[in-house]
Parts: sequence; structure tokens; C-alpha cells
Amino acid sequence: MLRYLARRVGQSVLTVFLTVSTVFVLIRMAPGDPAAAMAGPNPSTEDLNRIREQLGLTESLPAQYWIFIKDLLGGDLGTSYAFRAPALDVVLDRVPYTVTLAISAIAVTTVLAVPLGVWMARRADTKRELGASIMTIAGQSMPDFWIGVMLLTMFAVVVPVLPASGFTTWGGLVLPTVTVATLQLALISRLVRREMAAALASPYVTVARSRGVSERALTWRYAMRNSAIPVLTALGTRFAALLNGVVVVEVVFGWPGVGSLVVRALETRDYPLIQATVLVTASLAILVQLLIDLCYPLLDPRVRLGKAA
Amino acid sequence: MSIAAEGAPGAGARPEPRPSAVTPRLMAKATATRRRRAARLKLWIGSACTLVVVVPIVLAGVLPLPGPNEQDLSKRRLPPLTDGHLFGTDQLGRDLLSRVLHGGQVSLSIGLLAVLVSGIIGIVAGAAAGYYGRWVDTVVSRLLEAQLSLPLLMMLLLVVALFGPSVTVITCVIAVAQWPEVARLTRSLVLVEREKPYVAAAQVLGLRKFAILIRHIIPNIVRQATLVVLLLLAQAVLLESALSYLGAGPQRPFATWGRIISDGQDYITTSWWLVTLPGLVIALLVIGVNLVGDGLRDRTRRRTRTEADR
Repeated sequence: MLRYLARRVGQSVLTVFLTVSTVFVLIRMAPGDPAAAMAGPNPSTEDLNRIREQLGLTESLPAQYWIFIKDLLGGDLGTSYAFRAPALDVVLDRVPYTVTLAISAIAVTTVLAVPLGVWMARRADTKRELGASIMTIAGQSMPDFWIGVMLLTMFAVVVPVLPASGFTTWGGLVLPTVTVATLQLALISRLVRREMAAALASPYVTVARSRGVSERALTWRYAMRNSAIPVLTALGTRFAALLNGVVVVEVVFGWPGVGSLVVRALETRDYPLIQATVLVTASLAILVQLLIDLCYPLLDPRVRLGKAA
Repeated sequence: MSIAAEGAPGAGARPEPRPSAVTPRLMAKATATRRRRAARLKLWIGSACTLVVVVPIVLAGVLPLPGPNEQDLSKRRLPPLTDGHLFGTDQLGRDLLSRVLHGGQVSLSIGLLAVLVSGIIGIVAGAAAGYYGRWVDTVVSRLLEAQLSLPLLMMLLLVVALFGPSVTVITCVIAVAQWPEVARLTRSLVLVEREKPYVAAAQVLGLRKFAILIRHIIPNIVRQATLVVLLLLAQAVLLESALSYLGAGPQRPFATWGRIISDGQDYITTSWWLVTLPGLVIALLVIGVNLVGDGLRDRTRRRTRTEADR
């Protein structure tokens, strides 16, 4: 158990380290003067020299990397060009909004995808299941920003029942959540279907059925418990992908989160800000995944006893 | 299930074998038949959707359409089916169908190139990890695990911001975003394949490890790996359109799907077609490709559940 914990934490630290290093390499590899890039458009010579000094560009590469890491650990990710404030603070101000949207999307997804997946597994290879399967493929094939704009048109313009943008009332949460959840719903329900179909076809279920265990208990108590871990893992891994969707959807709905921030930073070429969003969202995704992985021992005695590979 | 049981008890007493109790109607209702029929249906619908989009895109230069950037300010925002504009015109009087088709050329070529690159990287890295094991496996597996657990879109936006939104950069960015999928599948396929007798036979014959991998193992797994690549093409098209929607797509004069939609969004209250139609085209293409991929996968499904396909 302790070894499992240590290994998972170690992996997360490694992932953060890889992300940070990649960002460092990217910034150094970018064409042109990094100082000019950091300074934004039309910098003066003094600005450039000052930034070069700050970045320690006169030092050797390993030394530069060391400085970069040291700044990161101190929470210094540079100053946002557009906001004239520490980039990290600007991003952290927006994080709660993004997290709210992500959590509500994942809640809606789970509540709908699990029953749908179970339904599909129990009616595997029937006509209705084929229909549902084609529907889920359609759900995962539509561009999320387009779904967003369409929902926006339908429910905020044609039939104005919900607010079109921003986050002033809880009603504003509905459309973005539905948009993000559509894609995830399709993917997770297909996963649940596959896992459940395999579990329902396995010998222990047949044995339990022959002993007269009810179909309901078979589904939820026997098969579900064994399908829970792969599904939970997928939810953890998908959280990163979900954040991708959230970024796009935030732009559609003018949601005041990290996503709309990064797109504005992109327009103004605000590199410190983009860099800060990369690191903050990456840490967030890694943290969520770590938390989910730490739930395994609760679900799977094999992990608890340290037998899982 | 019950059919076999019914025939069994009396079988020994009768001199003549009874005709099979399995009627054609039962055959048609059997799960295996239904599964095959479902796969065929998906393949047909999928190919139809894909072709409906791809053929006009390929022929966009030949079709009698106005140029994608030809403006006619007197014909702004005409609704579909007026004045020979099948999809109507946009806010600058440009023919929407022509823009969508030419945008499709950009999106499709970026998608195909990206998938080709990520397929090659993924198959090489995955095969090396699965076959050589040890530290190669550790490095590749950690890398792809790390990448899969990150919200990559931010990173991609950073790259595009740093290196400029050229077609090359965007293609590379999408390829890098997608290699883990191929690598993971290839690795799991190779892990199964390398335990098979023919590999041992090749070793006994004195072939070197590298030669066995290239000449014997990879040809055996490449078909299954390419199936995933097809699904990746759909994702690549979606990713490209999302990037260009966010303003990180190929710059003007290219009309890209994402930008057509983000431009049209400003006129959504008055001109519904500017967003709806391009979106439908993207959705149709991606649904088509996904259905074909899914159908092909159902058809060739004979693996265990551990090799989860995604």
C-alpha cells in the first residue's frame, strides 16, 4: 500500500517535471529572441536588456534551466504582459471557474454515462443497441465548439430560456456543461458498455446466475464492481481531455475561466501567461489523476494488499 | 442454447440423422450474424457519409464554384439556395460552399499528414517498447502516460504561439498530440506477438532481433495498428478545427473550418447557415470516418478485453 502510494506520487512528480522541462525547451527553441518573445510586441532596448538579465540568458543552458526551475518553485512564472500582474496570480484567479465547469460536466457525464453503458451492455448486439451505439459515435464526432454555438442559438437566442454567456447565475452553467458532457458521455458510455459486456460474459457471472442471483444484483453488485476500476481510470485520464474541451467551450460561452484567458493571451502573444496556464492546468490534471488513483485501494483489495502489477 | 439440448437425447435411438434444427431464420437471429450485420451497416453508413464530404472536397477545384476568397459585397449573407449559392454567402459575400470545400482541403491534408507522422512515430516507439522491453519500455511508457495525463491543448496553443501558425507547425503539433494512442496499441500488440512460436523459430534460425522485429513482427501487427490510425484521422480533423476556432489555425488566406465557424458566430442571430452548415459538414465527415473505423474494428475483433481499443 505504501509502496503503491510512493510509486504513484513519484510518477506524478515525474510528469510535472517533464511538463516543466518541455515548456523550458520549447521556449528556448522558439525562433527569435526569447527576451523579445517574453516582452511582447515592440519592446524597447532597455526592456530587452532587463528581461535578458532577468531570464539569465547570459548564463549557460544548464544554469538557465536551474534558474527557471528555481523561479517556478518560488511561484514566479513571469509577469503577464497584458494584465501587468504576476502571470500565476492571473491564472489562479480564473481556476475556480474552470474547475466548477469541469466538475459539473464530469458529474453529469458520470450520472448519465454509467446507466447508458450498462443498458447497452445488457442489450448488446440488438437493434436498439446498434442505434444507441451510432448515436454515441455521432456524439463523439461533433466539434464541441459547434455543439456549443448550436445550443447557444437554440436556448439563448431562438428560445431565450438560458443566459448566453458569462457566469452570473447558475443557469449560465447549464449550456456549457451540456456541451462539454456530450463528448465525454459518448466516450465513457462506450467504455462502460465494453467493460460491462465483458464482465457479464465472464464465468463468475454465469456461476452466480446459476445460483439464482437476480439480474439486477448480477449487474450492479457483481459485474459493476469489476468494471468500476477501468471506468474510474478512464475518468481520471479523461479529466485531462475534458479540460481541453472546457478550454474550447469556455471561449464559446464567454466563461470567465482559464480557457478564455489563454485564448486572449494567444491573441496578444502573452507568453508568460500561456506558460502559466499550461503549468497550472497540467498540475490540476495530474492532481486529479493522483487523487483518483489513490481511490483504487478502496475499490480493489488486490491494490490494497500490494499484489497488483 | 436450447436447440442443441433438444436434439441430443433422442439422437442415438434414431437410425437416420435428423436434419439440423438450426433453421435459416434462427441463423439470421443469431448474435454472430447480427454482429456481422451491424458491422456491415456501420461500414456502409460510414463510407457514405465520408464520401459525401470527401469527394466534393477533392473535386473543389474542378467544380463550377466561385473562388473561396472572391468577395461580392452586394451579395452579403444570402441564405442557402439563392442565386446559385447552395450554402448561401458569408458576411463578405463569399460563397460558403466554396469556402467550406477549400477549407476542407486544408483540414484534410493537415489531418492526413499528421496521422501519417503520428502513425510512424507511434508504431516505431510502440514496437520498440514492446519488443525490447527493459529501459526502452520504461521510457516510452512513462512518456506516453505522462502525455496522456496532460491537458495537451494548452501546450499546443503555446507551441503555435511560439513557432507561428504555419501548416507545418500545426501538422507537427497534431502529430505529437496523437502518437501515444498508436504507440500504446502497437506496444500491446507486439507484447502478444513476440511470444508466438514463429518468433522463437526465427530466433533459432539465427535472425537478429532487429530483423525479426522489422521483417516478421511489424508486418503482422500493422493491419490492426492502421485501424487506430483511421480513428485518429477523425480526431485530427476535430483538433485542427478546434485549433483554428481558437485562432491558432493556419492563417489567412486559408479558409479553415474552425475559422469559418468562429467568423460566422458573430452573425448567428440573423444568418444561421454560416455556423450550422460548416459544422454539419465537419460532423458528417468525422461521423463517417468513426463509423468506418468502428465497423472495421468490429469485424476484425478477435482479441481479449485487456487490449482495450480506444
